[in-house]
Amino acid sequence: MTKNNSFMHPAAEMYASEEKAGKLDRREFISRATALGVSTVAAYGLLGLDAPAEAGGHAKMGGTIRMQMDVKAMKDPRTHDWTQISIFSAGWLEYLVEYNSDGSFKPMLLSSWEANADATQYVLKIREGVKWNNGDDFTADDVARNIIGWCDKGLEGNSMAGRMASLVDEATGKAREGAVVAVDSSTVHLNLLQPDITIVPGMADYPAQIVHKSFTVETMVSNPIGTGFMLPENLEVGVKASIVKNEGFEWWGYAAGKGGYIDRIEFIDYGSDPATHMAGFESEEFDLNWETTGEFVELYDALGLVKSQVASGATIVVRPNQGHAPYDNKMVRQALAMAVDNEILNELGNAGLGVAADNCHVGPMHPEHNPDVTRAPFNPGKAKELMDASGHGDFEHELRSLDTGFWKDTCDAVAAQLRDAGIKVKRTLMPGSTFWNDWTKFPYSATNWNHRPLGTQVLGLAYKSGEAWNEFAWSNAEFDGLLAEANSLANADERRVVMGKIQALVIEEGVTCQPYWRLVQRHHVEGLVGVDMHIAYLPQIYKWGHAV
Amino acid sequence: MGMFILRRTGVMLLTAICLTFIVFLMTNLYPNLEKLAKNEGNFRMSDAEVASFLGNRGYTQGKLQNYGEWLGVLPGYVIEGIDGKTRGRCSNHGAIVENTGKYCGVIQGNWGFSSRFKEPVSKIVAKRLALTGKLMFWVLAVMIPSALIIGIMAGMREGSRLDRALSTGAIVTTATPEYVSGVIFIAVFTSSAVGLKWFKGSATSAMDHATLENFLLPVLTIALYGMGYIARMTRASMAEVMTAQYIRTARLKGVSFANIVLKHALRNALIAPFTVIMLQIPWLLNGVVIVEVLFNFKGFGWVLVQAASNNDIDLLLAVSVVSVVVVLLTQLISDIGYVFLNPRIRIT
Repeated sequence: MTKNNSFMHPAAEMYASEEKAGKLDRREFISRATALGVSTVAAYGLLGLDAPAEAGGHAKMGGTIRMQMDVKAMKDPRTHDWTQISIFSAGWLEYLVEYNSDGSFKPMLLSSWEANADATQYVLKIREGVKWNNGDDFTADDVARNIIGWCDKGLEGNSMAGRMASLVDEATGKAREGAVVAVDSSTVHLNLLQPDITIVPGMADYPAQIVHKSFTVETMVSNPIGTGFMLPENLEVGVKASIVKNEGFEWWGYAAGKGGYIDRIEFIDYGSDPATHMAGFESEEFDLNWETTGEFVELYDALGLVKSQVASGATIVVRPNQGHAPYDNKMVRQALAMAVDNEILNELGNAGLGVAADNCHVGPMHPEHNPDVTRAPFNPGKAKELMDASGHGDFEHELRSLDTGFWKDTCDAVAAQLRDAGIKVKRTLMPGSTFWNDWTKFPYSATNWNHRPLGTQVLGLAYKSGEAWNEFAWSNAEFDGLLAEANSLANADERRVVMGKIQALVIEEGVTCQPYWRLVQRHHVEGLVGVDMHIAYLPQIYKWGHAV
Repeated sequence: MGMFILRRTGVMLLTAICLTFIVFLMTNLYPNLEKLAKNEGNFRMSDAEVASFLGNRGYTQGKLQNYGEWLGVLPGYVIEGIDGKTRGRCSNHGAIVENTGKYCGVIQGNWGFSSRFKEPVSKIVAKRLALTGKLMFWVLAVMIPSALIIGIMAGMREGSRLDRALSTGAIVTTATPEYVSGVIFIAVFTSSAVGLKWFKGSATSAMDHATLENFLLPVLTIALYGMGYIARMTRASMAEVMTAQYIRTARLKGVSFANIVLKHALRNALIAPFTVIMLQIPWLLNGVVIVEVLFNFKGFGWVLVQAASNNDIDLLLAVSVVSVVVVLLTQLISDIGYVFLNPRIRIT
């Protein structure tokens, strides 16, 4: 079993008292305490609870699992833009830390980590006895090299650089001198520019796979060196892919009781039409799907499949882009948000599979959410007045979205409500292959966002000025300042005060309509364990197995 | 005859060059290149990253130059990118190695590298064409005999009850597009909604092992549509032949009806359907797109869609060459076949 950390961050004890006082809910507490280096067992212990047992204990060794999933071309893990890419490479590339659906962070290739009191220094301890599958020892140098690699802003499409921002030197676009130090063979020190509580969650995100020093993109599949228990067998983009157990390799996880049950996983690509997925499920061509959305939840339930569901921070934003007129006008943006009822969007656009949200992209699953700040009230009459007052009362908005699923349904419902309010709107449907090419640039369109553990994270990726994923084209110095302040506050109550201001600002500026938080779910056949839907779609395939 | 085939081959080459040039120009429009860069790099790349990505990989050197490289009449580019890496066309836009050739175009037998699938184009086209070939073979095997039988039976006694029944059936099948009949088949024969579950609603496993269970529905979906059409043609042709003078003469001579149909009428009646059947082959090649997507059968039609939607330049060019060859080759066969069916026509 994993060695328990003896370390107890002072803030964790404070969080525990807050949890007991009802200021934090349990998931928030677990998420924050473990991010500060407290082990899951210890974190539950602080609450006077036993850590929940993992379902993996009931799995048997061996077998094949077939999954319906988009099979995409491999690329450098740091540039992964789809979790579907990471789940294939997760066969042999592992993570330092893993994030779980209960909000906790568990050590994987690390054995523990500690933050100092103001979260400006982290000490990472490397797990003992981990080996690469070519026989090399896994050491602190490997960890330091990977973290430095994450900081490289020069690599086209490297999204890890944003997650490691507090280690990056703005001038060179690389890791700062002395920011990442391997002190001995099993310890790495991180020296941050400013307090940063998202660095460990960042290491658990899907592009943060740890690669060998000999890694090149060209040879990553043909010469798969990694620490994981599987190896790639074949990869046919758009058709199918498979990974198989690396027989004879002494994976560290076997001794640590992590699992590693399955012999073979096949990923079969069924395109983007969920009706085709259903035909495949009915023809027994796969055992589990990637994700079930919309009306198919009910249909699959009716087929007698097992549903695995988790409430997450995954959501959709129906947003104007402020780089285009008339969306540079605040009144227009406010009107768009005000004219729609989020409950109705959840009902019509999401088949009721979610909870209504407050148009600020921070919610109850995030530790620092301030529940007192709510959306500008739903008021179609006021919306029309605002729109007319802005001088764009006759403007016909063009709302673009993908042509399937909840993207389409939600936008259809938005358009219908806008029309009810007397605002002209035209719908444009696009296939995924063209939509995603320009997703940040459309004047008015809808994008889905995955769940992230802390509320400040999506705000940092998508709302901060100048960020690559800032599809709102929103640039606001006050917001940037508040966000930086929030990211430096370890104390929950202090951070919530700042977050309240941030939420209010996002709502006041009418940055987006963010109607609901989604329940995410997938379905599988009877007799599988550990294949549960993950709150952030992370690939934890070592948990997969057939039931005893 | 030899001259005729040679001339046709010349036309084919010329058509292929014209078509590929047009496709090449279209796919090299800047917005399309941008799409390509984002698909290959990261779909959230900035404009500057896109420009450096394209420049490093020789996409911005000028269209004629690039087309010449694709053809193999100009040497492939070798560019030292602004990231310090040296890339070349002949190493699939990757780093140049020792024995990388100078020319690597179609003339040298190199069809390029697919940006979507990360595999040589020739390999993808061969594999997917073989899968569609399998589908087409079974479609033709089902469609042609049944269409001819229905057409002949309907046409031999025009206006009879048999004719009316068969013609109605043929019109119904040909008036039902594949995306309607396919969906109906899936709903009726595979889903638990109806409960029959006789067949599989997905032909994914048929790519490796085709069985009656997983392959019948896609085959039937395509075959039914073409069948009605060919049957109608055969019927019309048969009915016309049956009213000809020589058939009446044969009847007056006292030849049995079966003999008249099989020995006297059939060969003449087949001339028109033969052309139609040959024209169906190129249609099948691209027309199977809907069925392939519906049943998740990854053949040539699917490759075409993937190549087009990802702006995979080399793959799209190869697909268009294959299409030109198939269209003109089937026309050639149909012209030569004519000579054997109709001795009044001679090819010079």
